[in-house]
Order: sequence, then structure tokens, then C-alpha cells
Amino acid sequence: MLKKSPFRMLFNRAMNPMERLLSIVIVLYIAFVSIRNPLFFGPQALFDIMSTGAGLMILALGALIVLISGGIDVSFAAIAVVASYTAARLSMVLEIDNLFFILAVAIAVGAALGSINAVLVHVYRLPTLIVTLATASVFHGLMAITLGMKTFTQTDVPQSMIDFGRWYIWTIENEDGSRITLSGFVVITLGVMALTWFLLYRTRIGRSVFAVGSNEESASRIGINIFATRLFIYSYVGMLSALMGVMYWSRLYYINPDILYGFIELSIIAAVVIGGAKLTGGEGTILGALLGLIVYQLFTNTLVYLGLSPSWSQLFFGSVLIGMLMVIYYRQRQANKKALVFSTV
Amino acid sequence: MSKVWKFVTKDPEFASLIVTTLLVTGVLYVLLGDRVFSPLGVSSMAIQLAEFGFLALGMGLAMLTGGIDLSVAAAAGLAGLMGALVMSGSVIPVTETNQTFIMVLGVVATLGTGVATGAINGFLIAKVSVPPILATLGTMILFTGLGMAITGGNTISIVVPEFSALFAGTMISVFPLMFLVLIAMFIGVAFFLSRTMAGRRVYLFGENEIALRFSGVRSERTIMMTYLLIGLLIGFAALLIIARANSMRIGYGQGYLLQAILVVVLAGFNPFGGKGRVSSIFVGLILLQLLGTSITAFGLTPYHRNLMYGLILLIVMGLNFFVNRPSRRKKPPAIGGIAPSTEAIILSDQRTTS
Repeated sequence: MLKKSPFRMLFNRAMNPMERLLSIVIVLYIAFVSIRNPLFFGPQALFDIMSTGAGLMILALGALIVLISGGIDVSFAAIAVVASYTAARLSMVLEIDNLFFILAVAIAVGAALGSINAVLVHVYRLPTLIVTLATASVFHGLMAITLGMKTFTQTDVPQSMIDFGRWYIWTIENEDGSRITLSGFVVITLGVMALTWFLLYRTRIGRSVFAVGSNEESASRIGINIFATRLFIYSYVGMLSALMGVMYWSRLYYINPDILYGFIELSIIAAVVIGGAKLTGGEGTILGALLGLIVYQLFTNTLVYLGLSPSWSQLFFGSVLIGMLMVIYYRQRQANKKALVFSTV
Repeated sequence: MSKVWKFVTKDPEFASLIVTTLLVTGVLYVLLGDRVFSPLGVSSMAIQLAEFGFLALGMGLAMLTGGIDLSVAAAAGLAGLMGALVMSGSVIPVTETNQTFIMVLGVVATLGTGVATGAINGFLIAKVSVPPILATLGTMILFTGLGMAITGGNTISIVVPEFSALFAGTMISVFPLMFLVLIAMFIGVAFFLSRTMAGRRVYLFGENEIALRFSGVRSERTIMMTYLLIGLLIGFAALLIIARANSMRIGYGQGYLLQAILVVVLAGFNPFGGKGRVSSIFVGLILLQLLGTSITAFGLTPYHRNLMYGLILLIVMGLNFFVNRPSRRKKPPAIGGIAPSTEAIILSDQRTTS
């Protein structure tokens, strides 16, 4: 009798090979950094990575859902900026300094922009990358010419957003009076992860996301409404992006619509891909996306502990990405050869 | 007249692209006149067009095979960086006598790095079967990362003055040298694609990879060769980039991705592969360059430009979709020995879902 591993007890499935490989990479890297620099193994680095990673993880969940459905969405960062900027501006103009109002407006805008993506992707039947690349620049451009690109500093940002950004669930006082804090965003991210898991694995619409991703034709023949599924996928991604946008500005205490869009989307997608989500669709796990994002966060935030400049981070991240891609797809290639599957698409 | 009509009906996308370009040229000529269409204006547009044209041609080649190359800008950045590094005097000290040698070495380093980036992409796609989108996403990050690690984000300046003069300064009448090189490359690639067996296989690969393989063609070689060719084009783009700036810095040309895809889709390429002609890319380049220049001339911001590019891309995709639909209905998918083309498969999708 095999004893159940803790992993199996928690997730009710075996760890897939990619997740195992990635976990080994992460553990080895953490061990290496801790040996080189014991400072790393304290709450400071951990809390930093978790607090900044919380928002990115929400984006990664969005990217994951789209990848599972067999597409690539590069417009989520643009939606995050447009939705949260619109909401913040509206709150400033109407002088409604209420976090729930800002979040509601942002999420509504995000859902609307996401649905536009869904309609275009469904109508054009073109690669989602191209469609969303176009819509991203349209969304951002329309915002720029209608609302402007004004930057707001701490004095102008709605107080409710600043309070939101200062929501800590764990504060450790050092002897010298400095404080190490863990942002409450981690709770939100855990909630969103649970919600996404529930939607993907426990609801009909979530199962149809997998079905559309693995074979759209078959999915449509067994009676799945492809358009409704796409509408769900892209509007959900839009809502997640909007939530992340509000969280992002809240933590920074200022609003600059020129950052975020055009800088992080491809890294986030890459992180999810590292986690084993396949472009061929139908595959991908939330745990994999989380591990991929941890790798990304480790390389972008902890190189200083090794005495390396941050300019090395992309090289490391890129190398791990290429390595993982080679492992994933070489295995599939060998399997395909054995099964006499010739299509690589 | 019937000849013209035949041409239009044979390739309505190309015809409408030419008409649009002529119209835009006419309107801009009336509105802006000599500000844009002076000899100086034309030659400055030509050199901008050349720099971007190599990348767009590379993107077009990738799309013919049904792939996409997200790494074009990053690869050009890395190739330019290698060239600039050689010519910066930090690797080999530059003296009075060895300038020509260093310059040749720099050009070789640039083109060589370009081809090497293509080889890496080709290897990942052909030999490991990584989907092109993901392979080039990975190499995009890797190439940028390599450049960042080498330079630490600093600008590398070129200390060989002849280099810039030769590649960015040489003029043959109003046209810069590299523009003519671009035209030569376009003619070369067009000849390769339409008149050689290897070139026809590129289309076949995009149309139906499995059928190509079952015809006894080593399809992996076709892919490898395509990406090597893209790498060479990237090398040329990099030469021009560093010659114009006389220096190189990583992160250059990030915005080119949207533009490169826009030109290729504008030129009527099918993103699923197998369809598209090189001469349309050239017309598309001219159209986009005119629009880009006029945006600057009208004093609009980059946000306006991106908005316009995005809108054009959406409109063109919409038009292509509606223009192509009836003609697909006329030609039912072939039955028998020939497998249905990608378009036919898409069509059958539409029938079942609608």
C-alpha cells in the first residue's frame, strides 16, 4: 500500500512532471541563494515577493484561462490600465471616494473590454494574439485621447485606494523600529485563485473552457456554445485585469497610465507557459501557473542577494523558459512519433 | 481594361491595397505637399522604411509557414549590439590602420548574430516542435536578457565613423543605400518563394504540413531554412539600426511588433499560413510609412499612432474576413486525395458553429 502523499491529499491528483521539475528548480534556486546569502532566508524577502507577486498572480490566472482555451491574450495589461484609470478618474471627478465604487466601475469596464475581445476573436477566427494585440493598442489609445495621460501622485489619488494599498495582514516590528509588512492583497489573490479553481473545475462553463481548448470542433458538436464560452473567458480575464489594475495603483500610491501596458504582458504569459500550460490548449494548472510566477518573481527580485545586477534577470528567466519549453515539447514530440501523430499544431 | 479587371478579381486584396495606398498618397500630397514629398522627406522616409522593412519581411516569411516571429525586434537588438560591441573598441582597440578591418568584422558579427538567432528559433521550432509563438516568445526574452546581461542596460557607442557614413549616409540619387538593399532583398525573397522548389515548399508547409511531409519532403529543413533567412533579414535590419544611431541600446524597437504584424496582415497574408505575396508587403510598408510620417507631420502623439494602427489592423482583418467569405463558398473543399486546406477547415468550423 502506497501512502498518500501530502500533495495528493491536498489536490486530489498526482503532481504532473512539469510541476515537479519546476518545484525542484525553485527549491534548488532558493537553497543556492540562501547558502550564498543567509539574509535571503528571512521574512523580508518572502513578504516582498508575495506582496508584489499577488497582483501579478491575478494576471497570470487570466493568462492561464486563455491559454487553456487555446489562445493567447496580450491585451490584459492594457485592460488593467484602462479599467483602473477610468475608475480612478471617475471617482476623482464625482468625488466618490469609495473603494467598492472604484472596484465596481473598474471591473465593469474590464468585463466590457473583455467582451469586445471575445466578440472579435469569435467573429474573425484569427489568431487571438493578433486580435488582442490590435485591441490592446485601441483600448489604450482611446483612453489616451479621451481621458488623457495625466499622472496622479499621492495627494490626488483617492484616499480609499491608498488605504487599500496600506492594508497589511501581518506586520513584524524590527528592533530598530523598521517594519516588515505582508500586504493583504495576498488574501485577495488566494480568494481569486480559489474562485478560478472552482469555476474551471467545478462548473459547466469551466469544463467547456477545457473542451474548447482541446478541440473546438468536437466541443461544438457535443453542444457547447463556443461563443458563450469565449465570452466567459475574455470577460473574466477583463475583470481579473481590472482588479489587478486597482490593486497595482493602490500599492504604488500613484497612477501613471504609461507603465504596466507594454511591459509585463509577455512576461506573465511566459511565466504561465513555464508552468506547463500548452498553447495547443486544454492543458494547464493553477499550481503550474503559480510555480511559473514564483520563478519569475524569484529571478526579478532576488538577484541582488546573489550580488548580481537586476539586468541579469531576463537572461535567467529566458533560459529557464527555453529549457522548460524544450522539455515539454520534446516529450510530446517523442510521444507523437510513437503514436504516429503527425500534426504539430 | 479587361487586363486590369482580371488583375483585380484575381487578387482583390492586393488591388485594394494599391488603391488605398495611392489614395492616401494623394490625400497626403494635397494636405502636406512639400513637407513630406520633398527629396529630403522621401529619402528620410526611405531609410525609416528600410529599417523596418527587413523586420516586416521576416515576419511575413514566418507567417507564410503558419507561424509568427515575436522575437524579430529583440533579435535585431541583440545582433546590433554584437556589431556595436565589436566596433566600440572595447573588444579590439581601434587604431588608425585597422578601421576597415574592424568595420568588416562588425558587419560580420551583426549578420552572424542575426543568422544565429534565426538558427536558434529554427532549431526550437523544427527539431523540438515548440509552437512558433512560444518558441519566439522564449527567445525574445532570452535575446533581450542576453543583451541586458552583456551591457547592463548601457548604450554601446560605435567609434568607427566610416560605418555610419557607409550604411546610413550613402545615397544613390534620393535613395539611401540600405533602401536599395531592401528592394534587392524583396526581389530575392520573391524570386526564392515563387521560382524555387524550396520556396514553394514554404507555402506548402503553411498550407498543409502533413501533406508536405507525406510527399516525401523533409519539412523540418524547410522550417530551418525559413528561420535562417529571417535571421539574415534581421541582421540587415540591425546593421541599419546601429548605423543610423551610431550606437546601440537594448530595448530598442519594442513597438515594432504591432507594426510588423500590421503590415503583414495588411498585405493579405493568412496568419494560418500558406497565403501571401511579398510585393504586397512592400506596398503595405509604403502605406504605413506614409501614415506614420503624416502622424508626425500633423503633430499627433504616439498614442494616436498606436490607436490608428490598432484600428487599421482590426478593420483590415474584418474586411479580409468578409471579402474572403463568398469566394470560399464557391470552392468547396477538395474531396479525395487532396486534404482540405486550412481555409476549408476554418470554413467547416463556421458552418458547424453558425
